[in-house]
Amino acid sequence: MLAGCAQGGSEGSALPDLPATTADEFSAHLAELDQPAVVNVWASWCLPCRSEAPLFAQAHGEYGDQIEFIGVDVQDSQAGAKAFLAEFELDFDHFFDSDRQVPNAYGGFGTPITLFFAPGGELVSLHNGVVDERTLALNIDELMRRGS
Amino acid sequence: MEFTLLWAALSAVVLAWVGLRLWPERVPEHGFDRLLGAAVAGLVVGRLVAMATQGINPLASPGDILIVRGGVHTGAAALAFALVLWWGNRKDPGALDAVAPAVLLGLAGWHGGCLWRGACLGTASDLPWAWALDGSTVTRHPVEIYAALALALGAWSVSRLGWRPFLRAGSALAIASLVRLITEPLRPSLTGGPLAWYLAGAVVGLTLIITRPRLTRDDASDLRP
Repeated sequence: MLAGCAQGGSEGSALPDLPATTADEFSAHLAELDQPAVVNVWASWCLPCRSEAPLFAQAHGEYGDQIEFIGVDVQDSQAGAKAFLAEFELDFDHFFDSDRQVPNAYGGFGTPITLFFAPGGELVSLHNGVVDERTLALNIDELMRRGS
Repeated sequence: MEFTLLWAALSAVVLAWVGLRLWPERVPEHGFDRLLGAAVAGLVVGRLVAMATQGINPLASPGDILIVRGGVHTGAAALAFALVLWWGNRKDPGALDAVAPAVLLGLAGWHGGCLWRGACLGTASDLPWAWALDGSTVTRHPVEIYAALALALGAWSVSRLGWRPFLRAGSALAIASLVRLITEPLRPSLTGGPLAWYLAGAVVGLTLIITRPRLTRDDASDLRP
């Protein structure tokens, strides 16, 4: 259902709308995963999100076959979201969460937020604010070691 | 959060100030101000270069400059720091040697500031002093503590050196670069880290130590106490 919702590199308007989700639906989606997951909560109006977006594109390129990368766009417009995804080529699945149900359910505040999940959807750690390369790499390493 | 980075930066500033008080010999008037100015310049230039390499236009998104956690280009920041420090002391090049130990101690403060940021840990390790992230059983090298201790030891060592031109400054550059180079494999990374910059810093530092005193042999006697 979600595949191809964020194929970047072209005009944002050419992308399909992001699928809407609720906290329960998102939690159920995570529970079905047999890989660890990195969930980035972002919005197109969020300046810090722009700053960390290239890092997620890079991390997905390097670890995308071992870890599920998922974006959750909060309090945004579909047009803004698609332009953002096209600009940063974040070529993984993204959900649309207009009333912040997903981050609120896990206790995060502000935007951006990055959440790290073990296979099956257990929350391992949560990072409020911009994530730097070291923190992202460390938490990815932690997820992979827990999974092995 | 950004505030934890501010605490780490404050640790660096305080320890650089302590360094200037511990080793005040030949430190110029306003030495601390010049050091602080050079550090801020390095941070801004490093951030701008990082933004440019990430494809973010600083003119279109000027607010991003403040988001330091988004990345600071190590090489550009170090170059800008060195150039601004040199320019501020261009009439008194010996001042660079005078502040060198304090710079290393300030760097030690930055790395030790990982304790405020909760960001001391590196790759997994079974060594007795390794510790784990909250809720984890995977123990890890406290790599930033290693770096802080090595830099503090380096600061003390440089303070014991003589006053040949650029001997202390070159040694400090070499030590800072080598500490980062040696500890880098212990840091999880997506990119492998800026190893080439660290290597270049070490080479430049060692070259300064080896060649500069010879180039200025005639002037060197003037700088000896």
